[in-house]
Amino acid sequence: MEDKFDCIIIGGGIAGLSAAMTLARNDMKFMLIERGEFSGAKNVSGGVLWGDGLARLVPNYWEDEEGFERYINHRRLTFMDGDSAFSIDFKSDSFNEKPYKGVIVLRSKFDNWLAEKVQEAIEQSKYPDECFLAPNILVEEVLMEDGKAVGIRTGEEKFFADSVIIAEGVNNLLTRQVGLQDKYVPADNLAVGVKEVIKYDQKVLEDRFQLNGLSGMSNEFIGTATQGVEGGGFLYTNRDTISFGLVLGMISLRDSKMKPYDILNEFKAHPIIHDTLKGGEVVEYSAHAVSTGDMKVMPSEIFSGGVLVAGEAANLLMNSGKAIQGMDYAMHSGVCAAETIIEAKEKGDYSEATLKLYRHKLEDSFVMKDMRNFQNAVHFLHSEQMFKTVPDLVCDFGKQFFTIKNEPTPKTTKMLTGAIKRHSSYWELLKLGIKGARSL
Amino acid sequence: MKKMSIAERLGLVNYLNQGKTEAKPHILVDTDICNETCDHKATTRVCPANCYTLDEVGKVHFQFEDCIECGTCMFACDKGAVTWEYPDPEVGRGVKWNFG
Repeated sequence: MEDKFDCIIIGGGIAGLSAAMTLARNDMKFMLIERGEFSGAKNVSGGVLWGDGLARLVPNYWEDEEGFERYINHRRLTFMDGDSAFSIDFKSDSFNEKPYKGVIVLRSKFDNWLAEKVQEAIEQSKYPDECFLAPNILVEEVLMEDGKAVGIRTGEEKFFADSVIIAEGVNNLLTRQVGLQDKYVPADNLAVGVKEVIKYDQKVLEDRFQLNGLSGMSNEFIGTATQGVEGGGFLYTNRDTISFGLVLGMISLRDSKMKPYDILNEFKAHPIIHDTLKGGEVVEYSAHAVSTGDMKVMPSEIFSGGVLVAGEAANLLMNSGKAIQGMDYAMHSGVCAAETIIEAKEKGDYSEATLKLYRHKLEDSFVMKDMRNFQNAVHFLHSEQMFKTVPDLVCDFGKQFFTIKNEPTPKTTKMLTGAIKRHSSYWELLKLGIKGARSL
Repeated sequence: MKKMSIAERLGLVNYLNQGKTEAKPHILVDTDICNETCDHKATTRVCPANCYTLDEVGKVHFQFEDCIECGTCMFACDKGAVTWEYPDPEVGRGVKWNFG
């Protein structure tokens, strides 16, 4: 190829495709390269795509029911001990309104669908024959010249561009190659997610989880789910399957002497979970590394000469306790990166001075604002008290409060005091409460 | 639901170039480092596809064929024994998720 592209995007996941969509709509010439056989072939998520970013990227996406599995109108947070589950449960008719608050997706299907939408946008752009979505190709190297990215190499072939967006995901080898992240990234602020997709008769699934039409439920779990390992569990309803699994802190898992799939078996065998899952057939087992939201793990910078890093390649992901957000961050960062490239082209200047606009855009958006504001929440949620003491205490209290005996009933405060004394102390709980109230 | 072994679970994974005997690895592990200098041998516990195993005398062994490309070992090994380098997708192993 003689001509160079305005931009080469590495990675056809949500960040890369969102960048591509934005570039296509602005008549930019670009190539997106994906290592998998198709977009989504190598992606794993829980997963819920939160917020209304998708409605901005693909207006009225809900009219085309092919992309997502279900939309969220029912949320549940469950505290577990060895034999009980105490849930905070919220369902709202207002969540049936569009744009939805979040959609549950299976990446192999969703990313592939999004790639089709990007292809449609390419065909409607000024340069339908000069933009490419190229799957099944490995980018081996980002080509650098005088400290600036000038293209990429794949095998023997080189492709040139004014800019490169790296959207390669959490295993960010190329982000490391261009020097934005250390060659070795320690496991301290990473977790491993293990997941099963479990199939049911659709009618059974809908009845079991009280689903109506395409409505869906998200359920997160803390406590016994992880067998004392830092982390939590999740259950999301798809069309006729559920996504069910655990996110386990790597260091905590390492020190636990347990294997992730054995913990998953224990989680499934919990009496309450057992009842929830019964009759299902596991149709896929998957796993992926995932960042936990601690900003310490982020690349030293998310741009350099000719390069922008988007999505989880930049470790843009966070579990603030309210939700595990990552795909929405990927989408927004991809859009911001593309907008930056569009402005750089207008100015005819792809230097760091222009590309730092990407940093500003992201800092001004919910992505970096939330990540900065909720760092304490991330640390709070990863404290041992939150995944051990609190669930035990809550369930202990629940067992007493909901038990009716034919004898004089103690006052609720007495039950609570008992539960606190058995699992913690007022002082510890007060400290935890203050920490939690400040961080959330 | 009955408990599943890791072998049964991996049996559900759709691998690329399945059956090809000469698939190229995407992870190189210097197990000498694991066996001589590593005190925690983390990969043998955190790998969700059981690609890193300990034998009866406590030595680490690695096979890439079952790898589901999660990336965990890339972070968990802090001794420099694990190197990720993808081969050409045509000859590599790795996954193609049906659901993801």
